[in-house]
Formats: sequence, structure tokens, C-alpha cells
Amino acid sequence: MKKPVDLDAMAAAYRPVIYFRIRKALGRDNPDCEDIANSVLMQAVEKVRKGEFRGDSTIGTFLYTITSRRIVDYIRWKQRVLQHAPEPSLPADPGKSYELQEREGRIAEAVKELKPRFKKILQLYYYQGLSREDVAAHLGISPKKVSEQAHYAVKLIKKSIKR
Amino acid sequence: MSPQKVRLMRKCHFEEKIDDYLLEKLDEAEREAFQEHLFNCPSCFARTSDREEILHVIKTNPSLLTEPEGVPETRPFFRLRLWLASFKPREWALAGLTACVSLAVLALLLTRPSDSPVFLLEDDTAVRGNAVTLISPVIDVGGIPAYFEWRVVGENTLYDLTLSNHTVLWKTTTRENRVVLPSEIRAKMKAGESYSWQIKAFTAEGTLIAVSSRVRFTVARPD
Repeated sequence: MKKPVDLDAMAAAYRPVIYFRIRKALGRDNPDCEDIANSVLMQAVEKVRKGEFRGDSTIGTFLYTITSRRIVDYIRWKQRVLQHAPEPSLPADPGKSYELQEREGRIAEAVKELKPRFKKILQLYYYQGLSREDVAAHLGISPKKVSEQAHYAVKLIKKSIKR
Repeated sequence: MSPQKVRLMRKCHFEEKIDDYLLEKLDEAEREAFQEHLFNCPSCFARTSDREEILHVIKTNPSLLTEPEGVPETRPFFRLRLWLASFKPREWALAGLTACVSLAVLALLLTRPSDSPVFLLEDDTAVRGNAVTLISPVIDVGGIPAYFEWRVVGENTLYDLTLSNHTVLWKTTTRENRVVLPSEIRAKMKAGESYSWQIKAFTAEGTLIAVSSRVRFTVARPD
């Protein structure tokens, strides 16, 4: 027998990944991301209540599908709106919360404190987007070391902002 | 050990794709599969979300990664020591064997006339053949660079250097693997702007033999 879905737990558990997916598709500073995430969750809850989630896939895949469709719908709607009335430009970082700004500030401080060799890896690999092989050739280390050191730098940053 | 612990210790194979996803290096099918996976794997999602946040800060504040001038980038021989430390005894043996085989192949190749690789000379077309490794500048610089330097490709090689921002700013040809930036070009470059440069290596007969990647750098604004 299919287990009933705990809707509150579902909303709490999947809201971050839904929001992340929407922000990645529509841009970090898009002020509509929050509303779209809410509408995805409302739609999902409604579908579950109506019995449209039959458990053929995981709940994650079910929510991923609704989110992806909602993103496509939003883009189509936005294109139609923009054809008739161009949107005024957005103010800088609308809706960016104080906590988010503070967290980004702490990340920036942690990056600044890194040793030069880690900064260089981050610069070449993440900022310039060079391949592991190109970074490895430039620094005279193996491509595997490039990944290891980049991930170690990320770990150091995470550790530093948790302090 | 409980099955749950074993499951937790096993590394998810999507983990290796996090960087490629964030750096937009996955094709469409891979990207969709990865995005769906994020909805089903809290561990990968947490890692992706954390790394994305850090990447965003780095991308929006590249100056965080720039070292003040005069500070050495690394400890002396750091790269060499790092590289040597990564070798295990078995790898040393393999490296020795590889070196012997390489020397034998090199000796064989030197005694045979080499065929020139085929290149398409379009600027944005991928070419095959050797790559030129650029040495400096490859990261953001504190001031307008005084010179451009790259690794030697071979003897009697001609190098074409192209420096661009929105358009081609300067082109020059040299036999050296380093060229000083003329003062009139330095005068045209501005702090805060991004530039890219590329090297193409030619034989004395004019056959293209190697191309570098096009590297971007930004000239930092003075504080």
C-alpha cells in the first residue's frame, strides 16, 4: 500500500532545492523566484491531494517535473509580457536579505584569508573556468590535484564561515 | 557496520559533476539529469548549493583572489614539492618506465620527417595539434602588464600574439617567447577593463603548429 505523503514535511524538505533550481534558471536577482517557488509547492500539494501523485516516480522527481514546467511557463509568460511593455530595470539586488548579504560578506572574508596557492586555483578553475587539465598544466600539478585542492579550498571557506 | 552507514560512506557519482554543472560545462541531457538528481539527493544538493554560493562571491568579487603586488605567490619550490609529494613508489617506477619509452619514441621520431598537423585557420575554430601554454598574464593583474610570456614550442618558431578587448588592440610577431608591451599600446589600456590574449605558433615556413587558449585578464583599478 502506498504511504501517504506528509505535505508539510515535503514542503519544508524540498523548498530549498525548488528555490535553487528556479534561481539557477531565472537568475539570482529575479524578484519572482520566491513567488514561483510558492506556486510550485501549492501546485504540488494540490496534485498530491487530488491523488495525481501515484508513486510511479520519487517525490523528488515529481517535484522536479512540476518545477521545470513552471519555469518554462514563466519564461513564456515573461516573453509575452515583454513584447508589449518592456520591463523597467531592477534595482540592485532586490530582495537580498540582510542575512544573505552578511553571509556573502563572511564568504568574501574567508576567500581573502586563503593562502595564495588556493586563491590561484580558485582564480583559474572557478573564476576563469579553465579546464582541470589547463589549470594542471599551468601550475605543474596533476588534474586530480586541481580538483582536490579546489575542493579543499571550498572546505576551508565553509569551515571559516561556520566559525 | 549498519547498511545505512555503508550507504553514507559510498560516494555519489554525481558529486564529480557538481563543478561542471556550476561552470555550465554539462551538455543539456547531463544538465537535466543532474538537476533531477539534486531533487533526489540531499547530500549533492547541499554540496552544490554551498559551492554555488562561494562561486557567486568569487565571480562578483574577482579582486578577492588577487594578491597584493610584492607578495610571493607560493613558497619556494612549492609546486615542485607538491608534485613530487604526490608520487607513490609504484608511480615512480611507472614514471621511470614511461621516461625510457618516451626517450625511445622521441629518438625514433627525430630520425623521421614529421608531418605537419592539419589546422583550420578560422579564429573561433577548434584546431588540433600542440597547445601553447601561456605564462603571464593569466590571472587578473594589479597594473597594466609590462610584458607577455609563454612557453617555448620549439626551435625556429614564429609566434603571433593577439591582444584584444572588444576589438583587436595589438598584433605582433616574434621569435622569442616573451614580448614587451609597447608604450603606445599600454597607453590605450585602462584599469578596470578586461582583455584577452592568444598565441599562435608557426614554423619558419609559415605552417601553424600550435595555438594557446584565449586567456582573459582584468587590470585592477588602483585603490
